[in-house]
Order: sequence, then structure tokens, then C-alpha cells
Amino acid sequence: TPAEPDFTLNYCSLALPVVKPPQGTLVSKGLQPCSESTIEGQIIEIPAGPQPPNPTAQCPIYRWNLQHKYNYTDVLLLSQFIRSDGGMLPRRITGLCLEEHRKIAICVQMAHRAGLLPDHKPKLPEGHVPKRPKPQLNRYLTRWSIDSVKPIYKRGLKWCKKRMDVGHPALRSNVQYGVKPLHIKH
Amino acid sequence: MSSFSRSAQQWATFARSWFLIDARMQPPGKIATMCSVRLQGKHKPIYHALSDCGDHVVVINTKHIAFSGNKWEQKVYSSHTGFPGGFKQVTAAQLHLKDPKAIVRLAVYGMLPRNLHRRTMMQRLHIFPEDELPDDIRANLTEELPQPREIPRKLSEYTQEEMDAFPRLWIPPEDYKMK
Repeated sequence: TPAEPDFTLNYCSLALPVVKPPQGTLVSKGLQPCSESTIEGQIIEIPAGPQPPNPTAQCPIYRWNLQHKYNYTDVLLLSQFIRSDGGMLPRRITGLCLEEHRKIAICVQMAHRAGLLPDHKPKLPEGHVPKRPKPQLNRYLTRWSIDSVKPIYKRGLKWCKKRMDVGHPALRSNVQYGVKPLHIKH
Repeated sequence: MSSFSRSAQQWATFARSWFLIDARMQPPGKIATMCSVRLQGKHKPIYHALSDCGDHVVVINTKHIAFSGNKWEQKVYSSHTGFPGGFKQVTAAQLHLKDPKAIVRLAVYGMLPRNLHRRTMMQRLHIFPEDELPDDIRANLTEELPQPREIPRKLSEYTQEEMDAFPRLWIPPEDYKMK
């Protein structure tokens, strides 16, 4: 009998058992100010847990059968593949396959732009004062970077309309739980 | 309901209700469709275009509206003053900073039928950029409508138990330095 679900993904509800990896994780403390450079590392012991449903697969997403089931809102999943300043971890370390690495990178970008990862911002140098206060506009499913996009002054007629991009075509293969199709262009 | 008296049933059928919609983190287009349906009275089985059966709609928190995609930078609102050289084009971001109520107002205006009733229906729409409402409007409100879009949770809003319950998908190698 499968274990009771302890959590749910935002995109779909899966009953996944709790697992913690058996080995430890190396977390480095900051450099201590002294004449010789020593880096202190702390190995955190995490207790082991049950195995993923598909342990023979190479990529962690395929091991847990989450291929087409995650979205930019599943922050608990995405936060496992990012650094503390918001950047993605390299593929040779995480073990993701190329397509899933790219999809996760796209979802992480969209999550950053939606403001869902507030603690993973890059560290600004001390005493840095922004010249102009940036307008706080809420957004979601932003494909392009904010400064790179130009306004569409002439939208065109119905047959030649310049539509605005929403979401990303890489996530088009996701499972659709509703009847309505996913519109990439609005 | 059959248990009501005739006059009470008639009053309940033809009374004009006041709806409240919270537009925080919602797309303005979806808010505008809900508003236009209720301003025309199309949510009532007794609807007729000539029978003036529309209700009042109050929209709050329009300052915190959320556009999908890059629409803040791409969507352009155009107007002409009537004078030569008076064609003005403003992006959604600029218009929102100038007037936080304008985007919702223009969206609802474009979704109402193009007849003389449109102006009266717009007079029955009340938009407020923040939470504050005048007391007389607050006293009139009858129903709050559910928000069309589910607001996703930020990482800081998850409890430690939920974060621990989520399984770790991959094991980092022992010698890798996590920043």
C-alpha cells in the first residue's frame, strides 16, 4: 500500500513517499579571516528514506516520474536545483538530462520573474543604493527578460496579428488536466 | 423559492446587487470578463438587453494586478487627443504608474456591448486601487466573487514541515561545494 502523501505539487497531486539521501551534503561556511586560507566544510548527515519509483533512470526527474508534471509554481522542486543566489546548478552535478535541465532552467527563470523565490536574490555589494526605484509590477509566465522586450506599437489585423508570448513552448508537452488547451500566444 | 411571498420573491428577483472582486495578483482580462457579465445582467435568467437588469460591481486592489507574459512592456494603450500630432501611445506599465485604475477600466469598457447602455454600465462599475472603500459602498456589498486565478505560493510561505516532507530528488557528491 502506498504511503500517505505528506505534500502535494502545485501542478498536480502525486502521492510520493518521503526520502532523504543516505550520504551527507557538503555545505561550506564562509572564509575565516586569517593568514592561511582554510575552508571549513560541514557535512550534514541526512537520514535515508524510501527509494524513488523508477531507480534505474539516469535523470532525477525520470527517477521520480515527474517528466511532464511540473510547472513554474512548483517552487519546492525547483529550489533543489538552484544556488543560494538564484543561479542553476551545473548539469554534471545534478545529473539531469539536457531537456529537463533546460525546462527546469526556464521554470526557474519564470519563478524568479514572478517573485516566487524571494530569498534567492544575488548579493548586492554593501552600501549599494539603486539609482531609480524599480516599479513593483506583478507578473507571471514571463518568457523574455524585462529589459529586452519592446512595446508592440502596431498590433496588426487578425490575419497578421503580432501576438504577445506567454509561458514557454518547452513546457507544451506538460500534462493538461483541464479541457482548455494551453495558449502560448495571447 | 416557493416559500417566499409574491412581493418578496419579486423584490429578490429584480433587486440590483453589489458584487465585490479582489483583483490582487489576478489578470485584468479575466477580472474584466467577470465584471462585464455582471454589469450587463447576463448572469441572471431574467436577462433582457432592454430591461436594465445589470448589477453594481466593485473592484479592489487594482494596483496589484498581474499581467501574464511580458504584457507590461509589450501591451500598448493608444489614444488621440483630437488635435494634430496628438496620437499618444503608452505601455501598460507607464499607464499603470500614471493611473492604477485605468487598465481595468479600459478592459471592462472594451468588453461591454457597444451601445448607449455602456456608459450607464460603466457608471455602475466602481474601481479602487487599494483595499480602502467608502463606507456607503461597503454597506451595499452583497456578495464576493471568487478569484479567477489561483495565486501560487512563494518559497518563503511554505512551512518547514512541508519543505522537509518534499523528497530530495538528487544526492549531491560529497566533495561539491554548495554556495
